Amino acid sequence: MAEVVLKDVVKNYGAMFAVNNVSFTVADGEFVALVGPSGCGKTTTLNLIAGLIPMSGGDIHIGDRLVNDLDPKDRDIAMVFQNYALYPNKTVFNNLAFPLQMRKLPRAEIDKKVQSAAKVLDITHLLERKPRELSGGQQQRVALGRALVRDPRAFLMDEPLSNLDAKLRVQMRSELKRFHQDLHATVVYVTHDQLEAVTMADKMAVMNGGFLQQYDTPANVFANPINTFVASFVGSPAMSLIPLEVASNGTQTVLQSSEGWELPLSPINARKALAASTKKVVLGARHSTLKLAKSAVPGSVPGKVYTVEPTGDITFAQVFISGAVVNISLEPSVAIRPDEMVFVEFDQERIHLFDGETTMALTL
Amino acid sequence: MTTQALDRPAPRKPIDWWRWAGRVFLTFLLIFTVLPMVWMVLTSIKSQFAALQYPPQWWPAEPTLQNYWRLLDPSNSVGQEFLRYFWNSFYVSLLTTVIGVVVAVPAAYAFSRFRFPGRTFLFFTVLLRNMFPAVVFLMPLFLLMRWLGLVNTHGSLILTYLTFGLPLSIWLLKGFYDNIPIQLEQAARIDGATRFQAFLYIVMPLSTPGIIATSIFSFIGAWNEYVYAYTFLSKQDSMTLPVGIQRFFTEFATDWPGLMAATFMMSVPVVVLFLVLQKYFVRALTEGAVKS
Repeated sequence: MAEVVLKDVVKNYGAMFAVNNVSFTVADGEFVALVGPSGCGKTTTLNLIAGLIPMSGGDIHIGDRLVNDLDPKDRDIAMVFQNYALYPNKTVFNNLAFPLQMRKLPRAEIDKKVQSAAKVLDITHLLERKPRELSGGQQQRVALGRALVRDPRAFLMDEPLSNLDAKLRVQMRSELKRFHQDLHATVVYVTHDQLEAVTMADKMAVMNGGFLQQYDTPANVFANPINTFVASFVGSPAMSLIPLEVASNGTQTVLQSSEGWELPLSPINARKALAASTKKVVLGARHSTLKLAKSAVPGSVPGKVYTVEPTGDITFAQVFISGAVVNISLEPSVAIRPDEMVFVEFDQERIHLFDGETTMALTL
Repeated sequence: MTTQALDRPAPRKPIDWWRWAGRVFLTFLLIFTVLPMVWMVLTSIKSQFAALQYPPQWWPAEPTLQNYWRLLDPSNSVGQEFLRYFWNSFYVSLLTTVIGVVVAVPAAYAFSRFRFPGRTFLFFTVLLRNMFPAVVFLMPLFLLMRWLGLVNTHGSLILTYLTFGLPLSIWLLKGFYDNIPIQLEQAARIDGATRFQAFLYIVMPLSTPGIIATSIFSFIGAWNEYVYAYTFLSKQDSMTLPVGIQRFFTEFATDWPGLMAATFMMSVPVVVLFLVLQKYFVRALTEGAVKS
């Protein structure tokens, strides 16, 4: 296993920049998830690491080697594809053996390695079958086995779970995590599902529009999103964002809504809000930090219930506040109805403030 | 529930007139195509006298294979001629097919996988030839071949058949390659194959049905072609079967049974080829046409 280093990597098609100055380091044995909405450049980044498409600029190191001009076959990596890309005309055994045959290993050794990989993944009984005779989960294992059989420097995975049904996906998710823990493998994992990234990865790289937005541990990304995009992408349901304006009512710094109400800020938050480049400030809050009251309490703001979604142990309410939809989680016992007027309390310790112009998080 | 289902009277299916109309039409089509062939085989085993009788003998009174022996016997002049034509046709068709595949496979692959300037334009110019009936090109191609010094050679025919066969082959194969996920090649390249090895070990085996289908197309096209062979070849010993068979029409005494025997033998390679490979053929046409 080895580390993977990207430095100022660029891929452009004419004026269209699919990947724009992306730099990050995947440490040896680390599981890194590339997340972002479709078209954000995450799969392109993975293909650049694999060498399947040529780079327009920048450097990629795998281990101690600069791989910019190396063919995929010389980069010593393994890849699992979204559609598994199993060779349909080969048996499972030959699918697993192909990477070894290409490297001209002696037959006996190929046999041994395939058998042991098959044993690890519990697919020994499938070795004589063709891929089309396998279920989705089995195909997924074979694809993993083909990557595993060769002991590569790094594993690249392109949404390997997205073709599975929901139940199997959760099961394979824990298996993949277990597999990473056992092998201490360097993994770069592309997914559009932030939940997969949060649950599996040591670090996550959030991408949007070809740019790397934030690269940190899932906990840090969750706790301190660097801008409104990351804030609204990570977490389920996402962080609610309310565009407001910063003002002073003589004694206190407040956030002012166009609906007329004011939210006083704590001294720390006031200093953050005043650091914004303009008066526009976006207030962010996660559903679990908000409290809902039926009547006005000091420091609460008015809103109108839009929908109520009971999920069993938590009920989610969506409330219109100053034109924005805000998610709030409630005890299932709380009885509210759509179109009801409610009051929402913010926890000053746990709110996030973003610059309304640059979208960046406001910090001290 | 089960008893209820059993008790219920079976619903009467209304007669599907369209289906029956289709069957009648297909039967008619079958008769239309098979009858001439049956008559060809029947005539080929008659004697010259029996073939010209009126009213015709529906079933040969004294069936004989003599016409076939004569054509296949290299010791008489008719046999020598026939075998020479047969060999010429086979040689021209085989070379057309082999060269066609060698050119069409990489061309189709390139059209399917690579994005290069002028790709769409080139792809449609490939079809340009098919916009016109083949006869339109007869004179221009003849002049071209004369200029190249290829008149009376098999090379002229092979070149001509290629210009007719290649567009279809390339289009058919491109459809095939389009349906092979590009991830398969990417996987192979990551697994240690070069681009060419990925093509050779992964893509080629998957496109075998397409390659076989295009081969049959170009082989049959070249095997059957008459007008160009008739125009380009005037020397007797270089003629192909369709032209050669015409020589069996002599001006006064047409040898019908001999002609029919020769025609029958000419159709044998095509039919055999088709029967052996038809499963690939059907797969190729459907897979190439329907995008998943």
